[in-house]
Amino acid sequence: MIESPKDTQVEVTINGKKIVAPASLSAIQAVWHAGYSRVEGVGCLEGVCGSCSVMVRRQDDKEVNTELGCQTFIEEGMEIIFLGFPTPTHQTYQLADIQTSWDVQGQFHQIFPEAGNCRACGGCNRSCPKGIEVENGVRLATKGKFREAGDLFVECVMCNLCMTNCPERIAPNHVGLFSRRVNAYFHIRPSNLINRLEQIRQGKLTVNKI
Amino acid sequence: MQPLNQILLSEKARIGADFERYIENGGGQGLQKAFVDPSGIINIIEESGLRGLGGSGFPTHVKWAAVAEQDMLERTVKDKYLICNGNEDEPGTFKDIVLLEETPHQVIEGALITALACNINRIVFYINPDQQNSIDVITQAVGQWEGSELFVKLAETMGQPVKMQVLASSGHYIGGEETAAIETVEGKFPFPRGRPPYPAEFGVYGCPTLVNNVETISNVSHIIKNGAVWYQDLGLGEASGTKLFSLSGDVLSPGIYELPMGTTLEELIFEYGGGMLQGKEFKAVFTGGPSNTLLTKRDLDVPLDFESVKARRSSLGTGAMIVVSEGSGIVKKVSEYVNFFAHSSCGQCPPCKTGTYYIAMLLDKIDTGQGRQADLEQLINLCEILPGSGRCALIDGAVKVLDSSLYHFMGEYAQALKD
Amino acid sequence: MNSTVSYQEALDNYQANHELPLPEAELSMDELLKQFHPDHYQDSLTTLEIGPNKGGRCHRQLADVLQADALIDEADLAAANVTETDILVIGGGGAGAAAALTAARKGARVILATKLRLGDSNTIMAEGGIQASVDREDSPQAHYQDTMKAGHYQSDRDLVAEMALDGPDVIRWLIQQGMNFDLNEFGDLMTRRPGGATADRVVYYRDYTGLEMMRVLREAVRNCRNITVVDNAPALELLGNESGHCAGAVFYSTTKHLFSIIKAQQVIMATGGIGRMHLNNFPTTNHFGATGDGLVMAYRLGAKLRELDSFQYHPTTVAYPEHLSGSLITEGVRSSGVYLLNAYGERFVDELKPRDQVSAAILRECQEGRGIRVSDQQAGVWLDTPGMELREPGLLEKRFPKLFHMAGRADIDPRTTPMLVYPGLHYQNGGVMIDKFGKTTVPGLYCVGELSGGIHGRNRIMGNALLEIISFGRRAGEDAANYVHGRGHKKTSIEHVSNIRREIVKAGLSMRKKSPLLFPKCAGFVLENEKY
Repeated sequence: MIESPKDTQVEVTINGKKIVAPASLSAIQAVWHAGYSRVEGVGCLEGVCGSCSVMVRRQDDKEVNTELGCQTFIEEGMEIIFLGFPTPTHQTYQLADIQTSWDVQGQFHQIFPEAGNCRACGGCNRSCPKGIEVENGVRLATKGKFREAGDLFVECVMCNLCMTNCPERIAPNHVGLFSRRVNAYFHIRPSNLINRLEQIRQGKLTVNKI
Repeated sequence: MQPLNQILLSEKARIGADFERYIENGGGQGLQKAFVDPSGIINIIEESGLRGLGGSGFPTHVKWAAVAEQDMLERTVKDKYLICNGNEDEPGTFKDIVLLEETPHQVIEGALITALACNINRIVFYINPDQQNSIDVITQAVGQWEGSELFVKLAETMGQPVKMQVLASSGHYIGGEETAAIETVEGKFPFPRGRPPYPAEFGVYGCPTLVNNVETISNVSHIIKNGAVWYQDLGLGEASGTKLFSLSGDVLSPGIYELPMGTTLEELIFEYGGGMLQGKEFKAVFTGGPSNTLLTKRDLDVPLDFESVKARRSSLGTGAMIVVSEGSGIVKKVSEYVNFFAHSSCGQCPPCKTGTYYIAMLLDKIDTGQGRQADLEQLINLCEILPGSGRCALIDGAVKVLDSSLYHFMGEYAQALKD
Repeated sequence: MNSTVSYQEALDNYQANHELPLPEAELSMDELLKQFHPDHYQDSLTTLEIGPNKGGRCHRQLADVLQADALIDEADLAAANVTETDILVIGGGGAGAAAALTAARKGARVILATKLRLGDSNTIMAEGGIQASVDREDSPQAHYQDTMKAGHYQSDRDLVAEMALDGPDVIRWLIQQGMNFDLNEFGDLMTRRPGGATADRVVYYRDYTGLEMMRVLREAVRNCRNITVVDNAPALELLGNESGHCAGAVFYSTTKHLFSIIKAQQVIMATGGIGRMHLNNFPTTNHFGATGDGLVMAYRLGAKLRELDSFQYHPTTVAYPEHLSGSLITEGVRSSGVYLLNAYGERFVDELKPRDQVSAAILRECQEGRGIRVSDQQAGVWLDTPGMELREPGLLEKRFPKLFHMAGRADIDPRTTPMLVYPGLHYQNGGVMIDKFGKTTVPGLYCVGELSGGIHGRNRIMGNALLEIISFGRRAGEDAANYVHGRGHKKTSIEHVSNIRREIVKAGLSMRKKSPLLFPKCAGFVLENEKY
């Protein structure tokens, strides 16, 4: 077996319980390793579903960070608390209600009126476990630069940590997702796809079930 | 019975913006005395034992000295600031508004003496925007001072003019924090700054800045006029001076009571506050504005001064005493306060903003009968991990009151659970 | 494992390569599969003794759950809360979301119940992309033929034809929900070739196609007024009515520890895959909830299943380090031209063959001593990413950010160090039999997505899974919404559970095992009913 420094045993505190486990394990794996039951706040186990937000305090450190539990390797003296998934935000919308791409910016301010109140506290950036420039994304969207705003949120897993952290109730991740969606909804018109759809519509392409 | 409303809230003091009457009633004499030996003012304040009355209890003379001692030679901007902090946004605290609105000259004279002692040339009266009356009254009163002989003499004695400014704060609770107040004076959002550097060294626009509470400042003219020993004698036991107690909650007569430091909690509630409402049993007190530990039945005999309350592992804070009777639920009250903190968090620090979001949510769940054992455990775990994680003390205060309530009233929490 | 070369030794000997020739295939495809593919392991198959597929072949571990006892009795339902709706969708992945959206937009009231949260699924983890014949040189016919061939001609022809024709419209629909795709400089959809296909047919968004899709669908579901989402509610059993029609389901709330009942006129199940059953002890790429619950519930109500002995093992799942074991590395990486190398730095298989062949080839290398050993239980082969970096610098990082992110967790830079890979249990090729509307043999019950069978035959091509979930999710939602105007069910019960129990006893099978599994064993879940 290849020996790795990550195999050494460390003691951590998870949800108030002391656990000893190999340092190569994630917070979730450590909980199971110790024999505790955990079925909430567990999903894909590889960092894309956003279900496993945790608060982490490292030994001798004043800082408390918000991270994803499946991506956090345990370290000696670490304190971890699993945060429940927060209730979804209050803003709702239907893409179909936006008449044309000319109306997007106006509609945006109706759907996300709080976005203009951003006080630039930077808390959303600090709480994001993926290192996304969240605040900048909100700023860009508020100015109508939805393409640029959306591009910042490629890696967003919609964990909603920035949403809980926003004192102005902006729901920045949903602003980011809105920006991405309007870009696709209004601007993606691939000619190869459209051409193919037209051929099928005209009955020019069928399938012979050989 | 202790003497009530002797000094700061005496009838002679509560005359509003009437400069003539103020002088007639003996006002201005403190400042006159201060002119005689400006360099000795800080010593008198030290001897008097005056401490920060806006929540910290920090020895006032230490703060003053830090600003007075700043080397101005190397600096390009030669200003020094005094921010007279009237942001007063803590639940249950409502004393500064009375001082500002009814005794503006007392406040201003105190500020001027402070400026003289520390060589401060810029004074900002920093007032909660919800108190428009206070803002108007202070503005009027400042105008009256600016036209007076005393003011001219001040400029002469200091060798430079003093500029006074009345500034409405942002209305955010967090604006009461020292460095957040500085940010507002600079025209920015009241985000607390990290320390160091400390305001005495690097405050408004980088200039040495002293931030003192309105009540603290209000005592200054009396101390200089009547002497340090006089001030010491006002207090009971080792404590000095008087304190404005904001009494509220389940009492018959809530209100402001200026009483000697060291008056007991029992006296405050039962002799002045009219006793418990509807004759219900006393249960607990949220002290100092609810970012502190609770006082319970066995603390009824505590003298209300900084050291005595500290000995009971609590804090006098602003002197606000929110009384809870057996008819009121602790869980609901704590939930209320934690929600207040969650709402007031400025957003800079995830452990504070997200932390208070979660403890508020868990408390709401428990309070509305939806909570389970796991939720209570989660609350306890969060209390463990959160203290010290923010740039200012808001998260610490929120955790402290929650932690204290869990310690004293775990039974109530357990009873509220579903399982 | 018979590998003789250790990880460190192989790594020391490794050199990044420009072009490398492909060796002659020694074994025919059939021989390769028969000798090395897990579907052909002698002792992993058995014959079902009860239920609609009695007498049919089935993987042993799957048979265990299909023939196990139920978790609940009628008595458990006594105090359960009852809700009624038009359409009940069970499953919060791509298929469930597509079905719910389609039905809701036709005016039906929909409840979408999910074991974890909406979006916690295999869909969100999908990387490779989604098939649609949009290139000029391509056609639905070619799509159909490639699918049939890769599945060894065992697929249901009608289903495959419908899906191939649906392809382009599915993409249009996804774009209309707000999903982005990678486009070339002319604004056309970019395509890449899936293993075993004759044309470039997979459209994608970086290696985050699943994340992009699920993110968008989830938001659309949450914003849809006619859909109520019930999270943290695994389904335990379907309900039947007096005539054997599906009438809803019984749920358990993992947060409130209570049972509840949701009755519906039509039920659409989209519960996904079986990866967390770790068939044949393979690691899995699947998400936490993939325990085959829907198969069990449908079978108990009388739905016929198919291809219960055929599972896909994805060739390239991470084999080292151990805590990343089973993590998927997309086939798209091979489509871009990355080689698979054995311990001696040799290519041994055409990387773009269908997955079952590539997996069998890797297993062969490892079993015949040419694999790279990390422990007595674990071996693998190299995914030669540094070679790709030599040939086309920068491409890896641009196209596969998820790969980089994952490799970073192992302190590996894919541009300079190859990843060690091994096949992982990835997908259930078979499942519940359906028609072109997603209807099962049980009236009132639709099954869509990975849960259903007949589309992929005995081996699925990359990109057809994401296509299937949307194509059939929409079909089921559309069709089910036509049948929600009746008077509802007269009587609902779990009587069919009693019937199954009789069969189990008569067949002399054990009553000690219970199913559906709900959660993998490692999670330590215990079903506790707190009644009050």
